[in-house]
Amino acid sequence: MRVGIPRTLSFFTLYPLLKPFFDGLGVEVVVSPASNKALLDEGVKDTVNDACVPIKLFHGHVVALKDKVDVLFMPRIISLDGKNTLCPKFLGLPDMVKYSVSNLPEIIETRLDMKKGKMEIYRFLYRVGKRFTDNKVKILRAIWHARYKFSRYRKLLLKGLTPEEAFTCLHTGQEPPHKEQSGQIKLAVLGYPYTIYDDYISVGLLDMLREQGVRVYTAEMVPEEAMKRMSKKLPKNLFWYYSNRVVWGSQYYINEQNIDGIIHVTAFSCGPDSMTNKLVELEAKQHQPKIPFLTITVDEHTGEAGVATRVEAFVDLIKRKKGII
Amino acid sequence: MQAYLGVDVGSVSTNLVVIDDDGNVLVDLYLRTQGQPIQAVQEGMKQVEEAIKGKKIEICGVGTTGSARTLSGVIVGADTVKNEITAHAVAASHLVPDVQTVLEIGGQDSKIIILRDGIVVDFAMNTVCAAGTGSFLDHQAARLNIPIEDFGGLALQSEASVRIAGRCSVFAESDMIHKQQMGHPTPDIIAGLCDALVRNYLNNVGKGKEILAPVVFQGGVAANVGIRAAFEKALGLKIIVPDYFKVMGAIGAALLAKATVKEKGETNFRGFVVSDLEYQASSFECQGCPNLCEIVNISVDDKVLARWGGRCGKWDTLSKTG
Repeated sequence: MRVGIPRTLSFFTLYPLLKPFFDGLGVEVVVSPASNKALLDEGVKDTVNDACVPIKLFHGHVVALKDKVDVLFMPRIISLDGKNTLCPKFLGLPDMVKYSVSNLPEIIETRLDMKKGKMEIYRFLYRVGKRFTDNKVKILRAIWHARYKFSRYRKLLLKGLTPEEAFTCLHTGQEPPHKEQSGQIKLAVLGYPYTIYDDYISVGLLDMLREQGVRVYTAEMVPEEAMKRMSKKLPKNLFWYYSNRVVWGSQYYINEQNIDGIIHVTAFSCGPDSMTNKLVELEAKQHQPKIPFLTITVDEHTGEAGVATRVEAFVDLIKRKKGII
Repeated sequence: MQAYLGVDVGSVSTNLVVIDDDGNVLVDLYLRTQGQPIQAVQEGMKQVEEAIKGKKIEICGVGTTGSARTLSGVIVGADTVKNEITAHAVAASHLVPDVQTVLEIGGQDSKIIILRDGIVVDFAMNTVCAAGTGSFLDHQAARLNIPIEDFGGLALQSEASVRIAGRCSVFAESDMIHKQQMGHPTPDIIAGLCDALVRNYLNNVGKGKEILAPVVFQGGVAANVGIRAAFEKALGLKIIVPDYFKVMGAIGAALLAKATVKEKGETNFRGFVVSDLEYQASSFECQGCPNLCEIVNISVDDKVLARWGGRCGKWDTLSKTG
């Protein structure tokens, strides 16, 4: 039995929970290859026209997997933190894919709604597990194992590892290499994990910044207690999980971490980001002194040059301001 | 005399300037790129060589900018390869030291740069759309059968400009055709187009930016008096167009080259021989992975000088510029 997991969207959040879980059930996990041009082209062809790039890419990943697996894992994720929902496209993802891509294998679209309580994550995994085995002990043991790996993953991200580096650590069981970022300036790069950690979609933004002597900080490196504190700052929060984390992350870095600048990475035509982007911008502008702010919009076109010019100019601006060059 | 060369290769024009140690412009050249950046740079180098012949000018450093900055940097042997925003800001604050806002409209991009106390504090560039850039004006001028040089002057003759949608160049064009068919005089339509372009620029590129005087307007489109007037009307501020508005990017690149060379003490400049060398540009599609990157090779006499275009490091073994 092989289960396919597309390497995008919630992948960067949930994979370290799912992988050990399926391993524990004795189910082989197949992950789609890293995003690339062929996958995106395929996705663009199949997806409804007005979807954002990450959703189009998701369709591409589904196409890449569909003939290689017995089951496609595509849960309907309603809420991950018990308070906020995800973007409507996540909620309707299984339906969207089913009606856009033909010849699909069986789809597991189990609902995950953490608003039902803290134990819901275990009930969710249990429901998924039932699809593969009737052996309750086996499922419970797999859940226990997955839980441990998952909490370790979150700790690795807090230490500043990228998801890919953290996956390697979890897989090999090795301690993470001690990683002290070097560079003269500190930038917060905020955006959804599936845009900033997907090198294809972000046109290698994180590496581009590091090469220019930038220490990069992301929302995944913000401790949970700090996120909680930030969530009380605005009179009203946004509705969406990932968007809130971007806003809270920006507040944390601006007000408590003495960051030199903020880059908000957004996908063209992202609905929630129309508000997220403005909130982050206002946060950066209201701070005294003003924090330099840049929006990077990613889209289907693979225009690395456009992103490179903006990023280079932004880094120049900050370095000149600080008197480094 | 020690001098520095700046090269700005953009989508429409290729500009070269030579400045002296104090930043005075000795030579300025504005050529059309015509889709042939290598030839344009070589032609420019030839003309620069002519212009400085016998004047005891020694090129001590060279900088490149513009969308073909990496390519031109390889050809001339650049000491610094910089993005257009930094280059334009450096040039503007050199010529107008207390500048607070730079409006730049070029062939295919437009940008706004906000400076305070001589330091860039904010900037923006147009996103995916090229409405409201020089290419669009060029195109419309050609369609109306008016030389682009006369375009702005005609706009000033208008007494009542018509309303044209500036959001998208395709729709702007249909709007203009409609107004023509209705019988509006050409100057009114052109003035309307200038207003629309400025409106689009201020709403898109200039969105949320604090535009304070002195405002410097540069880039090829600054030649257009109609657009200048439309900016003054929309902003209620005086617009300064520097003498060398067309070649500001190149001036910035030269100034940056000067600073770089002063620091490292030597130049990589390949000399004016580059205008006679045979540069070959070839490209191929890498089949290493499904990304199918288009890799470009720049070579002289079958020796590869530079290579770029790949997403991974596979083809980057040669020195990396840009």
